[in-house]
Amino acid sequence: MKTEFPLPNFEFELTRGFWEAAQRESLVIPRCSSCSHWNWYPEDKCTQCGGEALPWTEVSGRGTLFTYTHVTRALFKEYRSKAPYLTGLVALDEDPRVRVATLFVDCETSDLELDMPLEVTFRKLSFPDVEGEVIAPMWRIAGG
Amino acid sequence: MTSPSPDWGRSTEFDDFAAPVAIVGVGESEHSNASGRTAVEIGLSAIEAAIADAGLKPSEVDGLMASPGVGAQVGVEDFHAHFGTSHDIWVSHQGGGMVWAATAPYHAAKALRDGRAKNIVNVFSVAWATERDSMTGGPGKFHAQEQCKASLELPFGWFPQPVYFSSIARRHMHEYGTRPEQLGAIAVSARRHANGHPGAVMHHKKLSLETYLSKPMLVDPLRVEDCCLISDGGAAFIMTTLERARDLEKRPIQATGVGEGHAGSGAFWSQQGDFTATPQVFSAPDAFEMAGIAPKDVDILTLYDPFTIVALMQIEDMGFCKKGEGGAFVEGHNLDFDGGVLPYNTHGGMLSHAYVLGIAHVVEVVRQLRGEASNQVKDAKIGVYGGYTGHMASTLVLRSDA
Repeated sequence: MKTEFPLPNFEFELTRGFWEAAQRESLVIPRCSSCSHWNWYPEDKCTQCGGEALPWTEVSGRGTLFTYTHVTRALFKEYRSKAPYLTGLVALDEDPRVRVATLFVDCETSDLELDMPLEVTFRKLSFPDVEGEVIAPMWRIAGG
Repeated sequence: MTSPSPDWGRSTEFDDFAAPVAIVGVGESEHSNASGRTAVEIGLSAIEAAIADAGLKPSEVDGLMASPGVGAQVGVEDFHAHFGTSHDIWVSHQGGGMVWAATAPYHAAKALRDGRAKNIVNVFSVAWATERDSMTGGPGKFHAQEQCKASLELPFGWFPQPVYFSSIARRHMHEYGTRPEQLGAIAVSARRHANGHPGAVMHHKKLSLETYLSKPMLVDPLRVEDCCLISDGGAAFIMTTLERARDLEKRPIQATGVGEGHAGSGAFWSQQGDFTATPQVFSAPDAFEMAGIAPKDVDILTLYDPFTIVALMQIEDMGFCKKGEGGAFVEGHNLDFDGGVLPYNTHGGMLSHAYVLGIAHVVEVVRQLRGEASNQVKDAKIGVYGGYTGHMASTLVLRSDA
């Protein structure tokens, strides 16, 4: 898939599986076949046991709000059309040490409280004057 | 140490200093907004000031430390072209600003012991204000080039540094009850110090806590006032053996402790094991132990302060108060040079003096310990600089030679 910055680079081996799965509306994280450790960010070898088999493994799409920030003025030019926006990190239920960066959707700042349950939702992501469009895992308040 | 180290990072193992080493000359360039100068020109003017301060001749400076990874820095050829010299100069890349401004004296001590050089200058300079205007560089550039960040963080707008650190600030507030007026106290003290320092970029701009709290959020919960400046500027300091230092004009300022800590998650802030801490937990205890001091002995502290929250976390992680109690510790005027519990960034720091990435912080500690600072802390004998780059932190203990 042809994409330009700041869309993800599908040529980059370490994160390609994440984005290919996202196009099928699936959230995946590399998990060690030997010791079951979730490796995030992706590495060539398991950080726990050194295992080399780290298949992309689907997760439940449930997590908690680890932190967020409300960006009132975009600090890089490609994101100017999105501001104001809510971005931050979600701790996955499978292993809260795995934190995924995301955009929060269908909510206002005043709705958000840290550690509240969230669920993944897949949305289109594109930018004016930037080639390509991808489906990206974003997060919203669980059961909302 | 009273408690076992956490498991999300590690310390560098330093022996004691190879030779007693002292800082004998300090100098700064003019600090400014976009100036059109290059980083090398700025660095050379800082070196020139430091050499003059030490009472040395350019030909007597035979060691040059810099960090070539952070933009263009002064090299040997630049030095010779500027000063009209041609002597041999020992070069080290284990110096510069940021964390390396703290550890440079440790590596310089080895070179001094081994006879590689007699007088070593450590320099760091940036022209990021100029480069930002022409969109050729700046602090965000390094992170955007990291492929995992580019693929997993930038598409979601989790970039650049103000976004990282506002996220950290919010988590710190959640875990420990830290409040906006406590972050504000750090910004207000720094500004007050800049108001008293003629070389500070924000010398003429006042900031009260009331004004701070009335300012809009930039990246909630951080305001523009919580974020460092973007500047053109640089500084340098000259080191030699304590023995030779005693023959020079200025009172020698000896380096007595050094430490360096690393986060296992590298440059990925998002994945750091303890999200609301800094690798100072792995650095400061070692430096204080080497220097034979406790946090309560420190008369003046300067910290690498890209954001108020980073200063707050380092104050906790270095042991000036318990983890999570930094907010209460910095509140009110506790960081002021005159009567504060812990005089902090008495030149204004990167928030209000200049964003020259920590090198001016070391210069300020030296001036305080000599008794020649603009905002002089009474009877300052022991000073500390805490360096930081996210995945690393470092600590330098300096003391005035009796």
